[in-house]
Amino acid sequence: MEILLLLSVFVIATCGLIYELVAGTLASYLLGDSVTQFSTIIGAYLFSMGIGAYFSRFFKKDLLSWFIQLEILVGLIGGISSAALFLLFEHAASFRLVLYLLVGLTGTLVGLELPLLMNILKDRYEFKDLVSRVFTFDYIGALAASIVFPLLLVPYLGLIRTSCFFGILNVAVAIVVLVKFKREIKWARYLKSKAVACIIVLVGLFIWADKIMTFAESQAFRDPVIYSHSSSYQRIVLTHSRLDLRLYLNGNLQFSSADEYRYHEALIHPAMLYSPKRSQVLILGGGDGMAARELLKYPEVEQVTLVDLDPAMTKLFRQNSMLASLNDSSLLSPRVHVINADAFQWLKENEKHFDVVIVDFPDPGNYAVGKLYTTAFYRKLRHALTDSSVVVIQSTSPYVAPKAFWCVNATLQECNYQTIPYHTYVPSFGEWGYVMASPGPLAKHHDSLPAGLRYFATGTFSQMCDFTADMQQRKVLANHLNNQILVQYFEDEWGKYQE
Amino acid sequence: MAIIAGGTITVSQYVACMEKKDKYAHISSRISGASAKAGHMMRDQQFGTPDITEYTDAVIVGGGAAGLTAARHLHHSGFTNFRLLELEPHTGGNASSGSNQYSAYPLGAHYLPIPNTDNQPLLDLLAEAGILTGYDPNGLPIYNETDLCYDPEERLYIRNRWQEGLVPQLGISHQTQDEIRRFLELMEQLRKAKGSDNRYAFDIPVANSSNDALYRELDQLTMEEWLTQQHYHSEELRWYLDYCCRDDYGAGISTISAWAGIHYFASRKGKAANADSSQLLTWPQGNGRLVQHLQQFSRDKTQTGCVVYKITPETKQVLVDYYDINTHQIKRLVAKACIMATPQFITQRLIPGGQYDHAFVYSPWLVANITLDQIPESSGYQLCWDNVIYQGKSLGYVNAQQQRLTQQLPAKQVITYYLPLDHLDPVASRKYAIALSPQHWVKLIADDLEAVHPGITELMHDIDITVWGHGMIRPHKGFITGDVRAAAQKSPFANVFYAHSDLSGISIFEEAFYHGNKAAGALTDYCG
Ligand SMILES: Cc1cc2nc3c(=O)[nH]c(=O)nc-3n(C[C@H](O)[C@H](O)[C@H](O)COP(=O)(O)OP(=O)(O)OC[C@H]3O[C@@H](n4cnc5c(N)ncnc54)[C@H](O)[C@@H]3O)c2cc1C
Repeated sequence: MEILLLLSVFVIATCGLIYELVAGTLASYLLGDSVTQFSTIIGAYLFSMGIGAYFSRFFKKDLLSWFIQLEILVGLIGGISSAALFLLFEHAASFRLVLYLLVGLTGTLVGLELPLLMNILKDRYEFKDLVSRVFTFDYIGALAASIVFPLLLVPYLGLIRTSCFFGILNVAVAIVVLVKFKREIKWARYLKSKAVACIIVLVGLFIWADKIMTFAESQAFRDPVIYSHSSSYQRIVLTHSRLDLRLYLNGNLQFSSADEYRYHEALIHPAMLYSPKRSQVLILGGGDGMAARELLKYPEVEQVTLVDLDPAMTKLFRQNSMLASLNDSSLLSPRVHVINADAFQWLKENEKHFDVVIVDFPDPGNYAVGKLYTTAFYRKLRHALTDSSVVVIQSTSPYVAPKAFWCVNATLQECNYQTIPYHTYVPSFGEWGYVMASPGPLAKHHDSLPAGLRYFATGTFSQMCDFTADMQQRKVLANHLNNQILVQYFEDEWGKYQE
Repeated sequence: MAIIAGGTITVSQYVACMEKKDKYAHISSRISGASAKAGHMMRDQQFGTPDITEYTDAVIVGGGAAGLTAARHLHHSGFTNFRLLELEPHTGGNASSGSNQYSAYPLGAHYLPIPNTDNQPLLDLLAEAGILTGYDPNGLPIYNETDLCYDPEERLYIRNRWQEGLVPQLGISHQTQDEIRRFLELMEQLRKAKGSDNRYAFDIPVANSSNDALYRELDQLTMEEWLTQQHYHSEELRWYLDYCCRDDYGAGISTISAWAGIHYFASRKGKAANADSSQLLTWPQGNGRLVQHLQQFSRDKTQTGCVVYKITPETKQVLVDYYDINTHQIKRLVAKACIMATPQFITQRLIPGGQYDHAFVYSPWLVANITLDQIPESSGYQLCWDNVIYQGKSLGYVNAQQQRLTQQLPAKQVITYYLPLDHLDPVASRKYAIALSPQHWVKLIADDLEAVHPGITELMHDIDITVWGHGMIRPHKGFITGDVRAAAQKSPFANVFYAHSDLSGISIFEEAFYHGNKAAGALTDYCG
């Protein structure tokens, strides 16, 4: 009998440490800066355990029943903690608060466990023996946890399943104790059904963990995945490392927080310098709000109309405080009007004219997106422009995929646009290309830039327009709906590059 | 734990049990198609004397592509006092279309190849419909980009993989490759070839093709016989040609004449400023797009649900007797002249002394529009507009979503499955097809597609089945150059004009269009 209780000490200790490790890892995944996250989480956890230990003195009667209650509760809360944190990350206004509340709660409950158990065991052992045994098992459990966690659990089970698994162990302890000490326990029936219910919840979660986050996916990315969501249109994945936050759509990098300013400043400011009027701006794509952030730096801009297909994207970048801090809450600005619609469809119905249009679609890596780079699209776009409007189009890498890049240029020219192709270096992307275009002649109309730019300056632009020999203009066909040649160029060139 | 495991076992047993019961039960289905009932009524019923008699200048019987074209021609000639009678609740005939909340889809005809540049009337029609937007400096037509079939166009499921294009390429021998090359080169030559009368050997409309015996003789062989004669033995090439014949004529190379089989390739000389000659025009609703354009010229003159059962030509007028399904009345239209835009097996029953010659053979067809959650991915080349199965019973399916511009797909998608019913002779196939219940068709279609897309049955929701008992005229051996077809071109009556694609021996929109214009032209000449 006693050995059983001691074994539960071992299990409890393992579980306790695992929850702590899970919370720490999760915090550093989700919030970055692992040193700070780990030490504050551990601190908070240990402190809460102290609170738990303090409260243990108030339990005087029916200790075994209370212990079982406790085990079930720890199992449930610890078990669902990481799933809950992943899910809440997107929605919670202050994720940090939720995180520390959960850590505090788990810590307190775990802190109650050992004192309670020692109280139970104190009549069965000599005090000396008791302390030595309990602590021995406690520390062995901790060692076991600290070894299996990084080596086995995170790589093979993932965070969600790890916490589920240990939650199940906690509840299992409750059940074993329940069965073995049947006669000494009050409310045995009630406790048993409660334990079984918890086990069902946890096992269910364990099985469906994939739905919450595909583990395979977290392996496909360089850095830990902190958020992933399959909207009706795409798979949105955020990863976080010590250095940066990255957004991937369908596995393709959209930005790295470390250098996205280069990409977005180069996307926005040249077009703004070249457009005579700048009050009405249209963004097609760009649901991350970064392009809008750059545009809002111009007081002249009266309205930014942002048309992005995916409500999940714009919602994420509007509501999540960490992401909104990246785009300076541009999506909350009264000057920004967000429309969730298909760009082609929306253009068909649109009757407004825009001074500047930013076209920031995903790369033309498949035939569906390829349609947004065709003559049909640019002809449709023409109806949203005045003769002097300026358009800019993100056009993949002129270094990796020169044919694809020059194909965008050729396609615009075929639709009678004047163009200025240019490029810039974005470390996380490499050499990146854009095409500026206008139905009328393109000339610089402004000299001054808004304050606070980190990369783009008026002098920089002429360099950007210069293409070295390895990126020189190629002879290419224009992209039509019935040839989709751009997708083929893109696949060929990027395919080779990735081999 | 035990409880949970027990739970899952019972659930999976339950599922297995359901599956055994009927794995197609979740798929709703119905059969529509040319109203066999109305047809039989026309054939079998004795109608009394008409209740109502009305007068007009001209009547067009049949509102398929040919009848609608004739109406357009009359309209453009300033000839406005005419009526068009159609037995179905809608005009369009074999080029009709349907739709559901997710997509429009064709019930029959699906596409128009890039027209030959000397077919000016057809180019004018396309310009009028906004499909052709202008001409480039070299005089080549520019087509509206959104009406051209979007890339990627075609793929073939062969050796358990999808390959790009329909000509077999995956895992074929050098010998076969050579044969295919030789065949396609020959077709290229024949495309340019002209007969001693300086007409193209193979042209569209068929009527413009050369009369040179050198080429006409090809009609005396089946395509299969000709292939043997020309030493084309490769299984893959023969399959491909069999597929082409089934696609255009509803019957394979053992039935179709070599002339018609070659016509499929050599008659197409289309050119465009912004498309290859091999490309085509298509829309989610298929040739329903062309029908919708044509309909405007006779909208207020069209009476649907009207079964014409007798034509009585007299010296100065024609009596057109019909049964109006909507009002259950027998009516008569008295006109100066009429156009029979109905197939010959019907026309010959309506005119006095008419004899339906069984040389006019029609291929029965099944077209099924399948609504499903998604088209499953499978190995090899990606989803295309046309998705064909090597050595399949069916021709595979066309993806209605291909011509969408938007990124988002509808919640469910529609594919159009084509099955020429050529496993029996046409009469037997027709009987078989009519006898089969929708549930049987569902099983047949689902099982066929399972071979290329395992699990697709589960994704299906609804199948809209159309059976075309007399879908396409069949250019069997000797038909195109034969006397029967020649004799059928002209009616024995001065004030009755024939217009149906079957007169060409080849069932395509261009032929229906040709005959519609020709008959309407002759009618306006006659009426002065
Ligand atoms: C499955 C299928 C696929 C096809 N695909 C293509 C394709 O992709 N491209 C292509 O070019 N062609 C295709 N075709 C060929 C198509 O038949 C022709 O292109 C064209 O639509 C034929 O037009 P039509 O007017 O000559 O004949 P029909 O369409 O047969 O028109 C005859 C009309 O007369 C009506 N009618 C008959 N009897 C009476 C009566 N007694 N009283 C009143 N009305 C009557 C009928 O209801 C019908 O509407 C396809 C055909 C089928 C069956």
